[in-house]
Amino acid sequence: MSEQALLSVENLVVDYGRRHRRVQAVSGVSFAVPERQTLGLVGESGSGKSTTGRCVSFVQRPTGGTVRFAGTDLSTLPARELRRARTKLQMVFQDPISSLNPRRKVIDIVAEPLAIWGGVNRKEMMRRAADMLEAVGMDPAVTGNRRPGELSGGQCQRISVARALMLEPALLVCDEPVSALDVSVQAQILNLLTDLKERYGLTMLFIAHDLAVVKATSDRVAVMYLGKLCELGPVEDLYLSPQHPYSAALVDAVPVPDPRRPVAGPPLSGDMPSPADPPSGCRFRTRCPFAQDICAIEEPPLEEIAPGHLVACHFPTSSR
Amino acid sequence: MTKSRSGLAAAFPAATELHDPLLEVVDLATSFQTPRGLVRAVDGVSLTLARSRTLGVVGETGSGKTVLIRSIMGLLPRHGVQRSGKVIFAGRDLGALGERDLRRVWGTEMAMVFQDPMTALNPVVRIGRQLTESLRLRAGLDRKAAIETAVALLESVGIASPRERLRSYPHELSGGMRQRVMIAIALACGPKLLLADEPTTGLDVTVQAQVLDVLGTQQAERSMAMILVTHDLGVVATRADSIAVMYAGRVVESASTAVIFDSAKMPYTEALMRSIPRLDAPPGARLAAIPGRPPDLTTVPTGCAFAPRCAYVTERCIHETPPLTESAPGHYHACWNPVGSPEGEQAFSTNLAKGVMAAVEIAQREVRK
Ligand SMILES: Nc1ncnc2c1ncn2[C@@H]1O[C@H](COP(=O)(O)OP(=O)(O)O)[C@@H](O)[C@H]1O
Ligand SMILES: Nc1ncnc2c1ncn2[C@@H]1O[C@H](COP(=O)(O)OP(=O)(O)O)[C@@H](O)[C@H]1O
Ligand code: SF4
Ligand SMILES: [Mg+2]
Ligand SMILES: [Mg+2]
Repeated sequence: MSEQALLSVENLVVDYGRRHRRVQAVSGVSFAVPERQTLGLVGESGSGKSTTGRCVSFVQRPTGGTVRFAGTDLSTLPARELRRARTKLQMVFQDPISSLNPRRKVIDIVAEPLAIWGGVNRKEMMRRAADMLEAVGMDPAVTGNRRPGELSGGQCQRISVARALMLEPALLVCDEPVSALDVSVQAQILNLLTDLKERYGLTMLFIAHDLAVVKATSDRVAVMYLGKLCELGPVEDLYLSPQHPYSAALVDAVPVPDPRRPVAGPPLSGDMPSPADPPSGCRFRTRCPFAQDICAIEEPPLEEIAPGHLVACHFPTSSR
Repeated sequence: MTKSRSGLAAAFPAATELHDPLLEVVDLATSFQTPRGLVRAVDGVSLTLARSRTLGVVGETGSGKTVLIRSIMGLLPRHGVQRSGKVIFAGRDLGALGERDLRRVWGTEMAMVFQDPMTALNPVVRIGRQLTESLRLRAGLDRKAAIETAVALLESVGIASPRERLRSYPHELSGGMRQRVMIAIALACGPKLLLADEPTTGLDVTVQAQVLDVLGTQQAERSMAMILVTHDLGVVATRADSIAVMYAGRVVESASTAVIFDSAKMPYTEALMRSIPRLDAPPGARLAAIPGRPPDLTTVPTGCAFAPRCAYVTERCIHETPPLTESAPGHYHACWNPVGSPEGEQAFSTNLAKGVMAAVEIAQREVRK
């Protein structure tokens, strides 16, 4: 699978800070995303999702490990080529309003990447920006001349998406693109991303903390906890039979709009430990209802328990 | 005589509750004067909440939920506000109370939890002091008793090592911990009513589950009533006894939670319900988004405010405002073409055939299902 993967990440490590203040935000994460597929990346805040996303889109350099895009480790490219290659990797951020320049007009924000890369005249630039606004479901004649402050969160997120698509990227990293939006608007943006993925043949890394949101967009899901992957598998398998206790907790935490459904057990207890001082062995063990002695001593490796389904747990659901 | 009366009460528990509600909001309206015109943020809302019950208030951003909560509390800006209607809390008309009496009600009988705890917590004061301060001031505890109570409170909201945590500053806590500290502060003086304004919006789903669990447990233990505000119907499905759906400053549907989920009459309620992403949806299923956005409250058009986004819209909806009517005991809705009614079915299929924008979105999803 990794041969045809558009994106492959191997043993990614990211450290922040120095010496005794050192925090390892990502500790040896590996995954691959085949062309035109979407990988969902879920986990609580602080688990290292954004850091991973930024490394994947080359906004940030990792401390260790490699990120390959279409088979090439971009960090080996000379600066100019890297800059060009990076246009193929774009990112959409969580906070739709603050990620847009409040002083610029919407049409200029969308056109900006083209202005930076040049090669097209202003008229053509404006035409393409208007087309892209149309593609994200906005009327360029109405919204093109507005500024971000005059628009709703959902509209701003559409503009972020439009801007990210201007340079025809192959890979789109969406970092919690709907977490700040109303449920009704979330659905609009998720549908939009699904449509655009088809239309432009995009490969996506879709970051969220809500498994239900990930399910609506992704083919496969990677579950992350304190800098490591706990589980990786097809979206359907992961929610029908989550193998890692943390994935199971994420499944249970999704509010179900059904008053008759019994409340799914007590929620995950405690808070995530500090990544500056992660627990020994399995990092989830301090909050895990199934932890045994071995969990504190040995780190469970990420192993394939069914084709394409990987789990890092000494006592996965199917073994209990 | 006494006997028959208690028999009656047993037969009509709801009726007795209604005769002694903790909170009664009658035709409440709040508008703001702004340079762009008058913003009708809350436009004639009536609610009733019995002791130790939970009311979920649901609606999209900008529908007036926060202003409603603040109007109930009496926490509104001094200037540029027009307010009318009544808030009767534990038998007293809060509108008739002076500032001093109102302050006495806040915190001791009625408390609020905000969406962003950072706006309510003082960033430069340790959380221990913020907690004990209100205990000493309002509950009249001495220092030592206040500290012990604070520790117990933090423990009850699931904060690990509560004694050490007293020394933390708000920024040293995670978002979920801050929100639980906020809840502990709100609970400190044992309020009869807790107003929780989107207490979990912006938190991780796992943390949301923790916070909601804490709210539910504390509420049951303290027989406290609660208004839980959210934009996500899924959040209140298993936590509220009844639900009021708000749109453009008004309640457009209200009923017991089971009735809302089983037989919503208002197309907006139905649309909100369907827009929730579900884990058990078939793979590749398209979400049912609500097209467009809520109206600007300076220029709410005549007719039904939801009409431009509604799949059941007919001529009448655009010209005449549907009144809030009681269709079954305790079930109120404001719609000319309710879901499931002959008018509703007719309107929906006509819109489908005509290809009306809003209707088409819903139809596409129906076909894919
Ligand atoms: N620029 C930074 N400097 C120092 N620490 C950081 C920085 N960015 C993130 N971190 C830390 O790295 C960890 C992972 O953060 P992040 O990648 O943002 O996770 P997530 O997106 O899952 O919430 C957190 O503990 C966070 O505090
Ligand atoms: N102090 C204020 N001055 C002017 N307009 C306000 C004020 N507070 C709220 N509004 C307006 O009232 C409307 C309802 O807001 P709000 O109650 O915050 O909605 P919700 O909580 O449902 O998102 C919005 O249009 C908002 O802009
Ligand atoms: S059918 Fe008419 S009245 Fe009912 S919600 Fe739709 S637009 Fe409003
Ligand atoms: Mg993040
Ligand atoms: Mg609000």
